[in-house]
Parts: sequence; structure tokens; C-alpha cells
Amino acid sequence: MSTAASIIAELERLSGEFAALIAPLADEQAIRAAQAQFLGKKGQVSTVMKELGRLPPAERPVVGEAVNRIKGAIEHTVAAKLADLVARARAADLARVVDVTLPGRPHGGGHLHLLTQVRLEAIDIFAELGFAVAEGPQVETDWHTFEALAIPKDHPARDMQDTFYVTDDVVLRTHTSPVQIRTMQAQRPPIRIVAPGVVYRRDDDPTHSPMFTQIEGLAVDVDLKFSDLKGVLLHFVRRFFRRDLDVRFRPSYFPFVEPGAEVDMQCSFCGGSGALPTGPCRVCKTTGWVEIGGSGMVDPDVFAHVGVDSERYTGFAFGMGLERMAMLRHGVNDIKFYYEGDLRFLQMF
Amino acid sequence: MKIVWSWLLELCDLDRMPSVDDGARALTGAGLEIEGVTDLGAGFSGVVVAEVVGKRPHPAADKLSLVDVIVEKGGAATQVVCGAPNVPAPGRRVLWARPGATLPGGLTLSVKPVKGIDSPGMLCSEPELGVGDDASGIIVLDEHDRTPLGAPAQQALGLADHVLEVNAPANRGDVLGHLGLARELCALLGGRVVVPPDALEPDAELVASDLDAAALAAVAIAPDTRAGCPRYVARVIDGVTVAPSPRKLAARLRAVGVRPINNLVDVTNYVMFELGQPLHAFDHAHVAGARIEVRMARPGERMTTLDGVDRALEPGDLLICDGARPVALGGVMGGLDSEVTAATTRVLLEAAAFDARTIRRTARRLGLHSEASHRFERGVDPALPPLAAARAATLLARLGGGRIARGAVDVHPAPRAPAQVPLRVARARAVTGVDLDAAACEDALTRLGCAVAATDGDALHVTVPTARADLAREIDLIEEILRLVGYDKVPATLPPLRAAPVSTADDRPDRARRALAAAGLAEAITFAFQARERGAALRLPAGDRRADPVALKNPMSADQAVLRTSLVPNLLAAVARNRNFGVPDVALFEVGSVFWRADRADGLCDEPVHACVALAGARPAWLGEARAWDVFDARGLAETLLGALSTGAVRVVAGAPAAPVEPYLHPGVSARIQLDGVDVGVLGEVHPETREAFGVEVPVFVAEIDLSKVGAAGAGAPVRQMRAIPRHPGAARDVSLLLDLAIPAARVRDVIDAAAQPLVEAVRVLEDYRGDNLPAGHKSMLWSIAYRAPDRTLTDAEVESAHEAIVARLCAELPAQRR
Repeated sequence: MSTAASIIAELERLSGEFAALIAPLADEQAIRAAQAQFLGKKGQVSTVMKELGRLPPAERPVVGEAVNRIKGAIEHTVAAKLADLVARARAADLARVVDVTLPGRPHGGGHLHLLTQVRLEAIDIFAELGFAVAEGPQVETDWHTFEALAIPKDHPARDMQDTFYVTDDVVLRTHTSPVQIRTMQAQRPPIRIVAPGVVYRRDDDPTHSPMFTQIEGLAVDVDLKFSDLKGVLLHFVRRFFRRDLDVRFRPSYFPFVEPGAEVDMQCSFCGGSGALPTGPCRVCKTTGWVEIGGSGMVDPDVFAHVGVDSERYTGFAFGMGLERMAMLRHGVNDIKFYYEGDLRFLQMF
Repeated sequence: MKIVWSWLLELCDLDRMPSVDDGARALTGAGLEIEGVTDLGAGFSGVVVAEVVGKRPHPAADKLSLVDVIVEKGGAATQVVCGAPNVPAPGRRVLWARPGATLPGGLTLSVKPVKGIDSPGMLCSEPELGVGDDASGIIVLDEHDRTPLGAPAQQALGLADHVLEVNAPANRGDVLGHLGLARELCALLGGRVVVPPDALEPDAELVASDLDAAALAAVAIAPDTRAGCPRYVARVIDGVTVAPSPRKLAARLRAVGVRPINNLVDVTNYVMFELGQPLHAFDHAHVAGARIEVRMARPGERMTTLDGVDRALEPGDLLICDGARPVALGGVMGGLDSEVTAATTRVLLEAAAFDARTIRRTARRLGLHSEASHRFERGVDPALPPLAAARAATLLARLGGGRIARGAVDVHPAPRAPAQVPLRVARARAVTGVDLDAAACEDALTRLGCAVAATDGDALHVTVPTARADLAREIDLIEEILRLVGYDKVPATLPPLRAAPVSTADDRPDRARRALAAAGLAEAITFAFQARERGAALRLPAGDRRADPVALKNPMSADQAVLRTSLVPNLLAAVARNRNFGVPDVALFEVGSVFWRADRADGLCDEPVHACVALAGARPAWLGEARAWDVFDARGLAETLLGALSTGAVRVVAGAPAAPVEPYLHPGVSARIQLDGVDVGVLGEVHPETREAFGVEVPVFVAEIDLSKVGAAGAGAPVRQMRAIPRHPGAARDVSLLLDLAIPAARVRDVIDAAAQPLVEAVRVLEDYRGDNLPAGHKSMLWSIAYRAPDRTLTDAEVESAHEAIVARLCAELPAQRR
């Protein structure tokens, strides 16, 4: 026959047994199982509590109090044990050390060709001034490439550009200027376009490639002046090189512009001084200036070919080599690198 | 073109004497670019003019002499050992390289014993100074030479001088002689041109009153040839002795790049370089009938030019004929039979004006580019022939000891009046943006030799000198004014703001580039031309339009003979090159035009822009965990690219060995790429024979897409509309199937789609397993199907019902077994 004292003693024993059971446990599941083993509906504490009903009513409160105390102790132990487990897990996690000096895993990181980067940048800069992109074919008629640009078949200026011929009347365009003609044929003034694209000349040395890239500009409007051409090119040079470099014009002859000018800019290597800390500047041959392209006011003969009234409208045009722009900004020292598909070069930019 | 600085200055009377660098700068600034300045005397130093005051034989050697020289009157003599046979008598002058002198080739002289007698330096011959070929003896200066004793030898040799390399614009025929550049220099620096007096009138002392040019040369220009030859001037010089030219004249010719021949030939060249007017000298004895007729060639006519080539002529060729036959191809090259020789004594000198285009056509057709044709092609002033004829006649008579026949024959049927060009000053301001006024315009034009009359404040009436045929329009004058005022006076202004129209340019290529670079590939740009064999490596059958490329008529090399019809060959070559460079893992793309023959009225070709990806070796990897590129990378990149350009549905249609996708792709590892049901490209592993033709030993995977078939040019980036984000949970079910190896994934997908279960949200294939533990000829695939309803949470029963319906169709239609 159980007595209050024996029940309480049994509960105390179970409490001790629980403490011994739980002490070595280190995972939540086992702890919960142990808790259920003692406190669950069929647990050992519950079994003991069934005896409670048989005690005289006067003794019940004492035992009830003991039951609650011991249940509470067990629950507290479980909670503390679980909290300790979480803390240990967090501490263990934080004790982890990964050698983050190992290389990063490669992601994305492709490369637009340097010439593409330069071309897109040039397009953006001219877009700021209202120039839109225009295009034309690379295999072009002799008429668009030369005749309409005031370079007839027996004109000495044809010697200036050694041309690849497909037939007597079809050529690989030697410059992007035929896009001027195609644009003026298709569109009435006002016109402001830039035409980037590859062009071809029979030339092959460290500074010339049989295929290279130009960007052509054309503006036709009322009241356009030679000085506007200079301003546009100055804006381009300063934006592209991100420096206050100056631009100068030198008289030159291109049959499709008049007045015509070679465009020089202050050397981006030496800043126009002609000297580098290491010695004379070889890029500008110590002159402080480098040639970047040709330009001028659209010749009235060109306007006549495309039916634009040269009294009402004036226009300017310019052309620059993108390989040279990239060379001046990025120090590319041989034009052949652009076209070899050499990843060691392509991945530098 | 080369210009001798002292020669240029002889033709100028400048207000202030410029240095050669000042002159070069001024000319460059005015558009006559001086590409280089060479010091003619830089080849040697320390060589001086010395006078021989005594000579005697060397005691120890027969062929040596001991020569006493002085370098100032009354100075002490120095004894020099000399081995030349022509040591002159005392009183004559020689060139002495003193100890310390340096000679071409780098030799530095010192005091050296020669057969036992010390010689301080040496007396110099032409080759020793690099000034000529005469090695037979030392240089002995002319008796009349006035170079002071002790002066640098350069002075005596005409080498105390500079040569300017001028890059003359193609429209400036007038500056292809020293006179024309003198005109420019005077206009730029302030000064007057000095035409040599004997160009205006031959030296009277040399004119033979008993000989009449008109009687010795009858000249006629055929009526139909007057446009081709508007002027023909002839002079006759008699009693000429052919001999070497004087040293200074020869030095000038050498300086401009012409090899001196003899006084007769040299004078015609000298006057051409001086005045810009080409001349031709005929041996009068070989001009039949003493007659010159200028006419166009007749069909079938032939002549032998002085280079010995027998040439077929065409009716557009301009001929100079004598009484019997053609004697010169006018303005291009003389004839063999009438050329002057060492035996010539009477010379008929031709100075003519020829039409630029006529000369250019003949010169180009025959590939004959001479100094003369170069000038005629660019336009020679019709006022020059009489000047050049008089100048050359004088020089010839003087140097050859001859006499000039009285008068010149000058046939000039229709002299062209100088051009009259009106100029509006306001227009000049409007075009240039420079604040020009009438006075500034008039000043600039006057300096260039134009006559300017003002009609009112704004309008000027300008008469242009005949030398400047390039000044025919108002805009030509505006450029000249600006050139003289200075291009540096042009301010930098900006045009007024105008919004650019909506762009219609094709931006698909650049969007493709950005997408592929973002995907981790590197962009290559390769030449649009390639070797014909590169196309053959694609194994294209005859009849394929890509097997018939556009060919260049004049390629630079066989490697660049035709235009590419596909981007694949050049990228394969780039793969090979990278592997040769020691870069085994290659992931490249190119976006560029290909060129296909087209039947178009304008003769142009189709130039669609293609995008091509080429993958070889391993993907970029972390540490050592490399994985090789495979065909699914090519497919994934193709899908990425198309997704950047279009919202359309991409589908891949596999090829089969029986029906290969492309002859250059592996028949079992290749597919056509479709966008909304239209073929837009191909992908696959490159056929082993194709890649081996490029020297690549590892598999290469490519995808090539014709961007012209993807969306529309100028449409911009695809505009996508938002779809509702699901608010209710979905459920996924997997199914594992055992099916025949021949059933492709696309077929499984088609059956799932055909089941048309509305709850299906997404379908994925999780596994494609082939192994020995499966029945022969079978594979196992694990598919996962996601189900969702937009408006409610699905029950298990709904999901099960839909899933089982699909599985049942798969098992029945593929057929397949559920595993």
C-alpha cells in the first residue's frame, strides 16, 4: 500500500533517474523522448500519479505539490538542456573557419571586344548631342563609295585609298562615308547620324589592317558651321578620354568635304607635353598632338548627288578610326591583336 | 614630293627669312603637310674646302702622292697622303677630311701612317662622301667655284641644305614644283614669288638669230584633240653637247630623288621640279619632217615606249606624232625611237598642257606612273609651258654649249580665261563660324594671287589665277580664306539642340553581344574575308549558297580571297590559334555579317548578321573541378541569346544521321534551332573532319544564329508584360519512366503537353539515365511536373488525378513503363 511518503520518495527517485538519463543526451529528439518517457501520458511520473487517487484526501495536496514540483523540475531541465544544445550548435557553427582566400568560383564575367566597348561608348557620347546610329552595307556600290562623294573613277583621290573590288562597280567600302549618301537619300534634313562599321583597304602593317573600324558622323541642318564640327569633336574627345584635351584642325583635302580638316587631339599619353616621365613621348613623336581623323563641311557636289539644297542647308561630316581611339586610350601597340581572337588579349578588357 | 629648301628660297622674296623649321611649320599649318625634314649634309662632318699648294710623289709608293693643302690664304700648308690619280695642280680646290672628321658609314679620321709617312686625314672622292658614284679619283672643285677656303664641304657640294618631304593634297597639282610651294610660302609668310628671269625670256646671249624655231618645228593639234591638249609649246636648241651635269644641279636632282643622267635629261627634270611643268626632249634628228602632230590614238595603233615595251593603244590615248609615226604617249612616256641620246646635237623641247583625266586614264590603263603623268593627272597650269620651255632652253644651251633657236612655237587655240568666282562674305562667316570681314577675305585671296574686286560690302568678285584650277566655286574660296586666316582661328561651338529621332538602326547585334558577354563568353572580331579552302572545310555540297562565296578581284593574299559565308570557320581558326597559344579552354563568340551572293540589280550581296558561339575544352572551373563544355552549353547559350532578342518560343529539332542538320556538324549531336516554328540557326558538335581541317583535336561545340530572322530590326528590346505571381501553393509529382533509347526528351515533353492538363504549371526533366542494369535498348528518365491552380489550394486528390492521367498517356503513347 502506497503512502504519501512512499509516493513522494518514488517521485524523488524518478527525478534523480531522469537527471541521470538526460545528462549525456545531445540531440533534441532523444531529450524529447526521455521527457515523454517520464512525463507523457504513459510515462513513469504518470504511472506514479495513478496512485494518488488511492491516498486519503488529506494527504493528496502534499503529494500533488510534490508532483508539480518534480514535473516542473523535469520541464526546466529539458528546456535548459535544449537551450544549451542550441547554444552549442550556434557556437559550433560560429567556430567554423573557411579559407576564403581560396579563389572565387568563376561566374559570368564575359568580355565585349575592346572595339565593341569603344564603339558603344562613342555611340553614347554622340547620342548626347542628338546623333542617331545609321548603317549601310559593307559590300557597297562604287557609286555610293566614291562617285556620290565627289570621287569619280579617274580622280587622283582614288589613289588615297587602295580599294578591294568585287566587280568593277562593287567594292568593299573603304570608309563609312557611303552611309552619309544612303542616309541623305532616305531622309530629309535635319540629319544627325553616326555610322560605325568595318571598312576595308588594301593595307597591312603594324598600324594598318585590311579590315578596320570607323565611326562616321554626319549632320545636315540649317546654319551648321565648321566651328560646330570642332565643338562636337572636342566634346567627343573630352568625354571619351575623360580629360580636358584640346582639338585642333589642320587643312586637308577630302573630295567630299570643303573646307576639309585633319583632326588632331592633344596626345592622351603625354597630355600634350610631348614628354613622359620616362622620356620622349613616342606616341605623338614628341609633338604633343596625334591625328584622329578627317572631317569637314559637306561639299556642295555631294549635296547635289543626293538632292539637298546646298544654299539652304549646310552640313558637316567626320570620320575616325576606332582602333586608333582604343590604341590611344588602352595602349594597344599592334592593330593585329584586334582581329586574332586571342583570348589572352580579349580577356584583358 | 621632295622640296629642296635653298631651291625654294631662290624662288621667294620673303619679308623675313624663316628657318627651315618655321617654313615647314607654316606649310603644314596650311595643309601642305611636311612629313619630314632631312639635313642633306648630315652624312659627314669635318670635311672642308682646301686648296692644293704643292704635290710630289710618295717616296715609297708609285701610286701615292704627297699633297700640300691650305685652308686659308697664306696659312701653313699641311701634307696629306693621297692615292688618287687625279690630284690637281696647285691652285685648284679639293675636299679634305681632317682628323676628327666623320664619313658616311661611321668612319672617323685620324693621323695615320701611309707607307711610312703620316697622313692627317685624307682627300675625298664622291663615294667616300656618299655624293656620287665617281670612284676614279678625288673630288676636284670647278675652277669657278666660289666656296671660301676652309668652308664645310657641304657648301661646295650643294649639301648645306635641307629636303622637305611634302604630302601634297590630290587636288593641288599647282604645288608639285618648287614654284608652287614658293607661292604658298610667300602667301603664308609675306613675300613675293621670284620667277627665274630666263623663264620669262631666254638669255639673249644664247639665242641664235639665224635659227627660227617655227621653221624647225611645225606643230599642229588635231581639232578633236584640243580638249586633251589645250596648249603645246616647242623650242629648238641646236649644237648641244651631251655631258654630265654640274655638281650642284646633279645634287639637287639627287636630293629630290632623281638620278642624274646627263645635262640634256637632267635639265628637263630640273625644270619640272622647279616649275612643276613636265617637259619632254626629242632628238630633233629623229622627228620626221620636223613636224609634231598631237592627236588621239587610232584603233589598233601600237607604239614602243622608251622603256622598250611595245604597247597597244586605244582611242582615248593622246599621242605626240612626228611626220611619220607616234613619238610619245603624251604626258605619260616618250617613245623609244625619238629619245635623246649621247649623240644628240639638236633638241626639240616639248612643254605642253594636257587634260588631267585623259592622262590619268592612259596612265592607269597601262600602269605607267611617271613624274610627268603624276603632275598632269593633278592639273598643270596652262600658263606654264612657255615659261618652262624658255627656262629649260636657257639651261640646256648654257650647260650643253648650244644655241637657242629664235622664238617658240606656241599652239594654244583657245586660251582659257582665268575663272571668275563670286564670294559672299556673309556666307563665308556662316559656313566657317569665324568672324570674317571683307578686308580679311580680300587680304587672304590677294596673297594667293587672286584679283579681288568688291561689288558691295558683302559680295566680292574674285579672279583666280590659272594655276589654281581647284578654286572654281565659292566654297573653294571660303576654304582658302580660312586656310590663310588659320584653322586655329576656328572656335569650338555646338550645334543647337535637336532630339534624335526614334532609332531605326538594327540593335539586335549589340543586344546579342551583350547577352553573350554577360553569359561569360569573350567576343572575337575576325576578318570578314578568308581563304577559299576555309569554306571547303565546312564540307558544304555544291549548290549550297555558302559554297559559292563572294570573291575579291584583288585580294591581298590567298588567305583573304573570299568573303565569309558563315562565322564558323573563322571561330574554329580562333579556337585552333588559342590552343596553339597554350589556351586550351576556349569560349568565344562573334557577331558579324556574313556575305551571300544575291541576285540584285545593284550588284550587292545579302549581308545578314549572324551570332556564333564556339566552345572547346573545359568550362571555367573552381579549383580543379573542371567540366568539359558540351552541346547543352551551346543550347543554353543559344536560348540565352534568343531570350535577349525575342519573347518567342524556342524549340530545338534534333538532326539524325540519316538527315544531318549541317554537313559541318556531327550528325548525331546537332539540331536546328526554331523560334516560333521558324528555323533561325543550328547548334551541335562540330564534325570531326571539319575541326581537324582547322587543326583542333578536341570536340568543339557551336551554335550559329541568323539574327536577321530573330524579331525585327530597330524593334528594340522585347517588351514583356507582367503575369500574376501565384498566391496559392502548388504541388509537384515525379514520375520515373523506363523507355526506349530512341525516344527523345522532346517527345516525352510533347506527350505531357498533349495531355493538356490545365493544372500543369511547369515540367522538368531531372534525370536521363542509361546503364547496364536496365533492359537493353532502354533508358530511365525522371520527370517532375509541378501543378498549381491560380485561385485555390489544390487537394491531393486533384493533383493525383491530373498526374495519373498524364502518366497513363505517357505509358500508352510513348510507350513507357513506370518504374
